[in-house]
Amino acid sequence: MRDKRMVLFGFVRGAAAIVLALAVGAIFIFLSSDEPFTALRYLLIGPFVSFHGGVTAFNTQNFYQILAAMIPTIFTGLAVCVMFSANQFNLAAEGCVLVGGFVGSLIGIYANIATGWHPVICVLVSAVVCGLIMLIPSVLKVTLGASEMVTSLMLNFVLLYIVLHFLNYHFADRSKGATMTFPFLDSAKIPSLVSGTSKLTWGFVVALIISFLVWVFMYRTRWGYAIRMIGINESFSLYSGMNVGRMIILSSVIGGILSGMGGSLEVLGRYNTFVWRELPGYGWTGVTIAILAKNNPGAVPLAAFFLAYLNKGCQLMSTHSDVPSEMIDIIQAAIFLFFAAEQFLSGFRQKLVVKTTREELVRAESLDAIEGE
Amino acid sequence: MFDQLIKSIFQAEFLFVIIRITAPILFAALAAVISEKAGVANIGLEGMMMITALFGFLFAYWTQSWVVGVLGAILVGIILGLMMGFFSFKLKTDIILSGIAVNMLGAGGTIFLLNMFTGLRGNTGALVSPNILIPTIDIPLINKIPILGDILSGHAILTYLAFIFVFLMRTFLYRTPLGLKMRAVGENPNAASSVGVSVIKMKYIAIAASGALAGMGGAFMSMYYSQGWNQGMVAGRGFIALAAQAMGRGEPVGAMFSSLLFGLAQAMKTKVSGLRGMASYNYLIEMIPYVVTIIGLVFYALSVKLKTRKHQLQPIKE
Amino acid sequence: MDAHEYVVRMENISKIYPNGIAANREVNFSVREGEIHALIGENGAGKSTLMKILFGMEQPTAGKIYLNDQRITLSSPLQAISLGIGMVHQHFMLVPSLTVAENIVLGMAPTTKSGLFIDYKEAVRLTREYSEMYNLFVEPDARVADIAVGMKQKVEILKALVRGARVLILDEPTAVLTTQETAELFQELKNLKDQGFTIIFISHKLKEIKELTDRITIMRAGRSVGVYETASITEQEISRLMVGRDVVLKMDKPEAVPGERVLCVEDLHYVNEWGKKMLDGVSFSVRQGEIVGIAGVEGNGQRELVDILFGLKLPDSGDAMVDGQSLVGLPQARIRTLGVSYVPEDRMTFGIAQTANIEENVISDRYRHKRFNRGPLFNMKSLHDESDRLIMDYAVLCKSRSQEVGMLSGGNIQKVVVAREFSSDPILIIADQPTRGIDVGATELIRNKLVELSRAGMAVLLVSADLNEVMELSDNLIVMYNGQIAGYFDDGQWDDLMMGEYMLGLKRQSDDEIRRACHA
Repeated sequence: MRDKRMVLFGFVRGAAAIVLALAVGAIFIFLSSDEPFTALRYLLIGPFVSFHGGVTAFNTQNFYQILAAMIPTIFTGLAVCVMFSANQFNLAAEGCVLVGGFVGSLIGIYANIATGWHPVICVLVSAVVCGLIMLIPSVLKVTLGASEMVTSLMLNFVLLYIVLHFLNYHFADRSKGATMTFPFLDSAKIPSLVSGTSKLTWGFVVALIISFLVWVFMYRTRWGYAIRMIGINESFSLYSGMNVGRMIILSSVIGGILSGMGGSLEVLGRYNTFVWRELPGYGWTGVTIAILAKNNPGAVPLAAFFLAYLNKGCQLMSTHSDVPSEMIDIIQAAIFLFFAAEQFLSGFRQKLVVKTTREELVRAESLDAIEGE
Repeated sequence: MFDQLIKSIFQAEFLFVIIRITAPILFAALAAVISEKAGVANIGLEGMMMITALFGFLFAYWTQSWVVGVLGAILVGIILGLMMGFFSFKLKTDIILSGIAVNMLGAGGTIFLLNMFTGLRGNTGALVSPNILIPTIDIPLINKIPILGDILSGHAILTYLAFIFVFLMRTFLYRTPLGLKMRAVGENPNAASSVGVSVIKMKYIAIAASGALAGMGGAFMSMYYSQGWNQGMVAGRGFIALAAQAMGRGEPVGAMFSSLLFGLAQAMKTKVSGLRGMASYNYLIEMIPYVVTIIGLVFYALSVKLKTRKHQLQPIKE
Repeated sequence: MDAHEYVVRMENISKIYPNGIAANREVNFSVREGEIHALIGENGAGKSTLMKILFGMEQPTAGKIYLNDQRITLSSPLQAISLGIGMVHQHFMLVPSLTVAENIVLGMAPTTKSGLFIDYKEAVRLTREYSEMYNLFVEPDARVADIAVGMKQKVEILKALVRGARVLILDEPTAVLTTQETAELFQELKNLKDQGFTIIFISHKLKEIKELTDRITIMRAGRSVGVYETASITEQEISRLMVGRDVVLKMDKPEAVPGERVLCVEDLHYVNEWGKKMLDGVSFSVRQGEIVGIAGVEGNGQRELVDILFGLKLPDSGDAMVDGQSLVGLPQARIRTLGVSYVPEDRMTFGIAQTANIEENVISDRYRHKRFNRGPLFNMKSLHDESDRLIMDYAVLCKSRSQEVGMLSGGNIQKVVVAREFSSDPILIIADQPTRGIDVGATELIRNKLVELSRAGMAVLLVSADLNEVMELSDNLIVMYNGQIAGYFDDGQWDDLMMGEYMLGLKRQSDDEIRRACHA
């Protein structure tokens, strides 16, 4: 009884947070736009519905684009989920996506590997590299107690400059105006899933499969179990005989592996050559996704879809109205703040607890009465 | 090659540049110091600086007064700090997450707001005019001293302010009743509240002050350093500031030296990349401060670790 | 009787906590001006609650408080402070990086003429002045982190005095002090008394009470059981009043047939971080098939003993062996593989993961076992079977194995902990306060299980501050006092009065008698 109510309450609370965040967005739209209703229409239903020539229809291309946009963020979302589950505020997923993309690109350009295996090798190598990178903040945390948050933030910049250095001085294609690498070999590109320009590649399918696998890892294996328990109560885990340090390192390494995979799948699927010259921001989106998914890998694709949808909505809104697409950040920040707020609607929760406790007491008493007879 | 480098480093102009580059980092580092002193980890500094930089510039543009611009930036910083406080102290959002939310607002929200207020996209280049930029001042007497004058005179008013604030903050934290209460709250909230110090109030004050300092840093960026607001302007200075705080052991003076180190590294970068043969190492040089930070944190953690004895075998309770 | 005789009067104080526990029931407590008044009682007798009420930290459910015959209501410690009531907590409320003087003036710092800055010199002067006036020697400029625990306590007392306290509450002040520091403190307290201060002294230590106090209020089970002139009551009488039982639960348990020694503790010594001897040559053994109980007032070394046995502290010397293998310094995982299981005192911190479900909590020590894994994956069916079996065996009242543990009642949470710890086929069970604060049903179940398991051949070490519990359950009984074993009893002939005398340090067996605990 109590659990069902609490689950329901969880949903209501989450929904309320999202509605409230959208309302905040709407307020800004009304403040800033001369055509607020057009803007809102594109923001909310634009991604799915095309309004061409007065005919409304399901917009397949947009839909594919949304799915394509989910590829890197599912991976970073999963990475953050695994690390946050172990109570590690490790924010280096951001840097790892970049490195993953870069390493994957290099192999995609310079290694001659049979078609079919080429992208697989690219992704795997970048995963391994990023997994190793994550040893830095996690080992420092476990052995010395150095804050993984600060080291990972610094690490992001270190990784950025290392990538920029190699990109500019070792692997740049000097024939181009802008700094970029040579084009990928065709064999390295991630094949498209659908025709068209949506960039929806097999990477999406991989992302879904990996989400499932990470869920299995977290909820159906001894390592995932240990990681979750450590995140909930480290002292308890230590007492139970778990190797806390090793599990914390494992969770971070997995976070690195996932981010690296995401980076290379994204780059090899979307572009013809490596073009990133700054941190791509997917690591931060991953944090939002992990918060929305409440650290459950199974919910990550859903949360990623929601954010990708909003993002697309914002893009459409900026194309078709006078509201800029960066609206997304305001909505996202608001979702973030309300969704993560433990005390949001807590008064309501308290009443619920009191009510159910009272009911249980009454029930227990009547049971006692029966037994007493 | 190195004599070239040394020649260019031992010039007054180089030291002048270091001071100029250090100032905004220093503001943010002080912002990190004061909130951390009260036990509040403010990782939203990056976003705070972006937002206050924008508003500072806008206020200055609207009123055509740089003073109003700076004050506006400070005000907006305070509001952002209080907002973070409200969500974290009242609604119990993890303070790290409210910080990340502010960073999001800073990254994209600013572009939206700029567009909303001015119709411009990405930067404010079109609105810049000399009278809304923070003026520089020549310090009488000192500007007459040969080398020292070239280094110390002619900076923006806010640059001087940043360095003055280091000592003001030290005085505030260690010499005033409020500072004492704030440190007590950060270190042992139970002890503080047992003698009637309001923990929440101190934390609000600290994060508001943190916002105000970030606001000055933001104003400095848009109204002096970059001469206008643009999208990539803050470029991680908020995060660097967190590192400077940690490396400076959470003390104002320590944070100043760490900030100067960052300033030095950035100034070196421009110098070195201008040199023959060294140009291709500019990114690696730019990386140095971050690596130094990580190493600094490691040494700090080691020193704490060595102090722990057998008694700390027990895991830290949540 | 002069009405002004009493500086503090608390009348019919009752305190019922939201979870239904009645900590105080109609307690009357009054203190005369200028006396040192002892408040004594077992753990959980309600002393601390009563004092928290007097210090404004808790509000009474019913009852009245008078200060100098003025009715007062206290809603916060700040208010109590302003009325001249000060409290020295057992865990110091000090800020380590601040100096002594800064700690003393925190929240009321004197300022310079401008009003902007702390007048640190004045703070130091004030500290010195009070320090000299009351003979409480402290170093005003030392950082609190660097000073000894005895001085920290003086700082706490000075903090209260500087704020104008006339009534001082000291919550087990000697628990953390060395003998020498205790003697010093007593001198200082007597001094304060001579200067007209009123002192309420919470303690378990009869010798100290006899030495220091004028009158004594004894509490038991939330009630006051009497007020006496200290001089007119013997230590034996105090002991009897303190531990005397209302109900005697008698357990029927089959005779123990002790086998081989499982746990051997040899000459353990441990000095805590403040230099106080917490374990001073403790040796004993626990054999197969028996329950060895450790009785004693809290703070006499039991905590440290258990922590050493479970790898949380390293002893300064001595050894502890399970089946001949030393467990000193081993990580918990290794200790568990030796066959030790452990019911922790602080179950919410160490016993469970609150937001995880029941299943996840009962498998935390065995989830790696082959039985529960198929290759890399969990064997969910065997996990479910295991948890369902344990829920059934230990009568955990819940909706299903997937219910969050934090949602259960205290008794059921402890059943979950015990279910896990008792079912891992241990050869040694260390049960630390296994039934503290839980309902009668769960208590009975846990006690029965302990007896059952010991009769099945396991060695059980039971540490409990609940005298009833140790006396009922133990086959052999160790009493600890002051970091040493004060008595070892293997004849089953014990009663609460006798225990009380050993627990409170009035009696001690000869070394030879104590050595029997080793079964060597």
